[in-house]
This record gives sequence, C-alpha cells and structure tokens, in this order.
Amino acid sequence: MADFLTGAAQIFTVATLIYMLCGSIAGIVAAAIPGFTVTMAIVLTLPLTFTMEPLQGIAVMLAVYVGGYTGGLISAALLGIPGTPSSVATTFDAFPMARNGEPGRALSIGVWASFFGTVLSTVVLIFAAPPLALFAVRLGPWEYFSLIVFALTIVASLVGTSAMRGMLAGLIGLAISTVGTDPIMGRPRFDYGIEMLQAGLPFLVVLIGIFAISQLVSEVENADNVRSGNALVTGAIDFQTWKVMKEVLMRPVNLIRSAIIGVLIGALPGAGGSIANLVAYDQAKRSSKNPESFGAGSPDGIIASESGNSATAGGGLIPLIGLGIPGSAVDAILMASLMVHGISVGPRLILDHADLVYGMFIAMVVASLMMLIVSVCSMRLFLRVTEIPKWLIVPVVMTCCVVGTFALNNRVTDLYLLIFIGIAGYVLRALGYSLAPLVLGVILGPIAETNLRRALMTDEDPTLFLTRPISLIFLIAAVVSIIWAVRSHLKARKSTERLSDAPTS
Amino acid sequence: MSDTDIVKKQEAGKIALLLSYVFLFLCSVGLFITATAIPASRFEKLGAGAFPKLIFAIMALVAAIAFIGTIREIPRSAYANFIAESVAWAKRCYLVFVCLGALTVYLLLIPVLGFSIASLLFLFGLQVALMPRTAKSIALAAVIAVVFSFGLNWVFAEVFTVFLPRGVL
Repeated sequence: MADFLTGAAQIFTVATLIYMLCGSIAGIVAAAIPGFTVTMAIVLTLPLTFTMEPLQGIAVMLAVYVGGYTGGLISAALLGIPGTPSSVATTFDAFPMARNGEPGRALSIGVWASFFGTVLSTVVLIFAAPPLALFAVRLGPWEYFSLIVFALTIVASLVGTSAMRGMLAGLIGLAISTVGTDPIMGRPRFDYGIEMLQAGLPFLVVLIGIFAISQLVSEVENADNVRSGNALVTGAIDFQTWKVMKEVLMRPVNLIRSAIIGVLIGALPGAGGSIANLVAYDQAKRSSKNPESFGAGSPDGIIASESGNSATAGGGLIPLIGLGIPGSAVDAILMASLMVHGISVGPRLILDHADLVYGMFIAMVVASLMMLIVSVCSMRLFLRVTEIPKWLIVPVVMTCCVVGTFALNNRVTDLYLLIFIGIAGYVLRALGYSLAPLVLGVILGPIAETNLRRALMTDEDPTLFLTRPISLIFLIAAVVSIIWAVRSHLKARKSTERLSDAPTS
Repeated sequence: MSDTDIVKKQEAGKIALLLSYVFLFLCSVGLFITATAIPASRFEKLGAGAFPKLIFAIMALVAAIAFIGTIREIPRSAYANFIAESVAWAKRCYLVFVCLGALTVYLLLIPVLGFSIASLLFLFGLQVALMPRTAKSIALAAVIAVVFSFGLNWVFAEVFTVFLPRGVL
C-alpha cells in the first residue's frame, strides 16, 4: 500500500500532470498524421524525458502512447486513411459513418471505445500481469505459427464482395512481405539488384501507399464534385459526448471481448495493435446478429477496432513488467527509458521498484482520462477538417504522407516506392480488390515465415504443430474460422439470389 | 445513362479484372521460378525460397480459378467495346491522372529542389489544378502552400530534429 501511495504521489504532481497533458496532445496530433506511428511519437519524446524523474518520464511516454492509439482514429474516420497501422479496421466503419453525415458520432464512439479499452486493459494488467506473462513466454514458434495461421483466416471475413479478389489481395500482401533479405538467413530475395528493394518494402510505406494515396486519388475521380468545392465529409459537427458514451456502454460484450483480445495479443511479443484491431473487428463481425451492417458504418465495428487496439497498450506492458521482455517496439523504448535511469527491467522490477510499477498502472489510467479530456475538448477543432474542400485537403494530406514516408528511415528511395505502391493501390481499389487483406498479409507474412522456419529448424518433425496443445487449439480455431466464413458467404449469396429472383411488384 | 451503357461499363470492368488476373498469374509464375533459384541452406529444412514458392503457387492457382470464373461471364461482343469504354473512363477520371502525375513529378523533384521548394510548387500547382478558380481561393492556396512547405520543414527541423531533404541546388 505504501508503494502504491508513493507511486500515486509521484504521478499526481502538477509538473507531471502538465507534462502528461502535453504528451497526450502530442500523441493524438502525431498519430493523426498518416505515416506517423505511435512508435515514432514515442521515439521523439524519449530524449525529452532524460532530465525527468524515471516515473515522470515513463508517465509522459505512456500519455503519448495512449494518446497515439486514439489519434489514429481521427484520420481513419474523417479521411478514410488509417493514421497508424493500429487503426486499419477503424476505417471500415468509422469512415462510412462519417460519410453518411455523422462524423462527430464516428469520432465520439472511437474515443469512448479507446478510453474503455485502455481502462479495461489496465485492470487486466494489474491483476493478471504475472500469470499472463508466464503463459506468453511459454509459447514457442509452433504456437506462434499456428496463431498467425488463425489470424490469416481473418482475411475470409475482410474479403468484401468477392472472395477470390480478397484472397488474391491477401496473397499479394504475403508476396510483398517476401521481398528483401529473408528473415532467418539474411539471403537476398527478389531485389533484382535494385538498391531500394534490398531492405524489403517497409510496411508503413506500403500502408501509406495502399490506403492513403489510393484513397486520396479516388476522391478526385469526379471532377465536377471537386471543382464545386465540396468537402470530403459533410454532416453535423456534433460530438454527442454523453449520448455516445451510453451507446458504447450499451455494447458491453463487444467492448469487453475486444479489450480482452487486445490485451492477449498485446501480451504476445511481436504482435500488437496492428493485429489486435483486425482480430477484434473480425470477432465482432462474426458474433454480430447483423454482420452485413459491418463495413457500412456499424458502431460495433468502430468499438471493436478502437477498444481492441487501445487495450494492447496495457497488454504490452504485461511481459515488460512481468518478465522484462518488450512485446513491441514501443515497449522496447519504454524499457530503454527505464534503463537510461539505471533501472533494470525484469522479473525483479515489481519487487525492487514496486512504487514505479504501481505508478505506471496509475499513469495508464490518468493518461486515458487525459486522452478523453483532450479528445472531447479538441474534437470540434478536428471536425473542422470535414469542412475543408477536397481541392485543398488532397494535396495537403499527400504532402503529409510524403513527410511521414521520408521520416520513417530518412530515405529518398522510400518516396519512389511510395509512388509505385500508391499507383498499384489505386489500380487495385478501382478494380474492386479489398485492400484490408493485403495489409494483413504484409503484417503477418514475416511473422508466419520466421516462426515456420524457426519451428522446423528447432525440430524437423512437422507433427509438432498438431501435437502441442496450444498450437493445436489455434489450428482448430483457424479451421472453425474458415468454415464459419464459408457458411456466412454461402448464406449471403443465397439471400442475394433470393432477392434477385423475387418478382418485382 | 441507359441500361445498355451500364451493361457495357460492367462488361468493361470485368475485362479489366480478367486482365488483372492474367497479370497476377504471370507475375506469380515468374516469381515462383525466381524463388526456385534461391539456394537452400544446409542449416535448415526449409530454405529462404520455400515460403515465397508456397505463396506464389497458391497465388497462381487462385488467379487461374478467378480467370476461368470471370471469362465465362463475359460475352464475346464485349471485347470490341473495351478500348472505347477504357478511354471514356480515363476521360471521366482525368483528375486522377493529374494527381498521380503531379505526385510523381513532386517526388522526383524533392532530391533536386529540396523538400520546401518542391512542396511549394506541388501544393500550389495541384490546388490550382483542382480548385474552382477565384481570387480568394488562389490566395488561400498560396498561403497553404507556404505553410505546408516551408512551415512544415521548419517544424520538423526545429521541433523534431528531423531534417527533410534539402536538395542539391
């Protein structure tokens, strides 16, 4: 109890709270720019925390972290461009809802879902950190590969109108992930001696090209609409704070399920928010009574994606605090920040620096509250984006995409890749290929390949994938997931045929 | 638009899809062959080429199935209209080509002119190309171009210590 109070006393100082507020604003603004990830925002914050007390520094970075997961929602909802990889699934429903004239509601649902997702994940973090950390560390490459196979079956529910094109998009994503040096032996693959392909196609450049450039270009297809000075999104600028809070809380099953998915995926090293939002969205769609409403502005879709990705913030801290293993790049930076202050992170952290660990838990809750306050106060400002005409916003956002792409690795060659991928993305979009499976393929491809090869290097016996219980559970879940998806597709096709066969009165 | 025009458009769309399946099939076959040339390692059962081979084999198979499924839906007469329909689509969506062309030139100019000048030209040029031209909107475009070129460069250099390309001129 004394440690808890010491931690709380360090967080609730005026200076720490002001720094956290600035961190929260910085996280939201940075993640709202396409190409700027939460990781980049945290990296830029790290040097600023060196002069602070350890807990103060960590609290500021947690504020950036939590704010960043919400910031991605803004461009996802208003522009249809995921600000960060963790908000890919948010675009599926938040953007259509904004387009249907409810941009304020779309943002508000996302903000509340993010808030509850973070709070739920912190509760889980407090009670379940040690057992979950021990579970996560017992997973070997067999279990990871099977988990990725399960995650790949999500493609089945993201394929859009055509299952074939959806599958092809997923395979294109997997193919893109094979370009560059191979992840185990470092052999060059498919670079044809071209320097910019040797390091592979950076995931974020693919994300910006595929989603942002293609979306922006498709906005100017109708010349008359652009020339008339129409805005990207039209509708009431009404945030409906309390009404939407009730609306989100009225969906407790979806909220809690998505948060738990976020925590579990966040606790697995190497996974994180970029996968959690898609898995949570997929599960929400599968268990919904109206799966056909997903993709057309369903509030459940936004809640699932946003609470899922925000919950990974707490989940990621589980292996970090419990075992000293960073689950993601952001957690690695948090760990580095502690090490700068001479604190070694590992199983003894909670024994030697209990005040620091409790302080981190409190900082998470305070950070999510700050994110909520900042969001509610500033959303009106962000919603002004919807009033900007297309002729202005398209070139400006394109410039932001270029800056985001360059700032990733400070490489001009990434800019050339951006234009190729942007054109390819637009062609795929124009032909009706669903782009979400492609992104999923790019994310999961390297993880699947690494773990498959690592598993077979450890033991050549492939039956281990079936004989190890957790691996088997994931594989069974993958088969069930495919059967479920095929059944839903057949059902949807039958009902469409029935509608088209029905005589018109 | 009459029903015949809509049908013609849909058929042209299907032919475009068919071409995309052919393209993906040829690419996957070519890349599968390239992957077979990647040497295997004696330290592991699967080499660096095994995973790509698996991906490209499945891709070729799916593209072939999609091709067979689509070609049966297209009447022979549709192929004659394809070029005319494509040209009509390109004319309707000419701003798409303007945008992509401007972006390509902009990205090629960044290493030469530097981020600030290239962005200024891109932002002002593209805004003027897309906007309903009035004195007020042109003035606004000029202000936006300056803020998001020189202003953005200043913010990144001074606040984030991220230095955007300065160019060679």
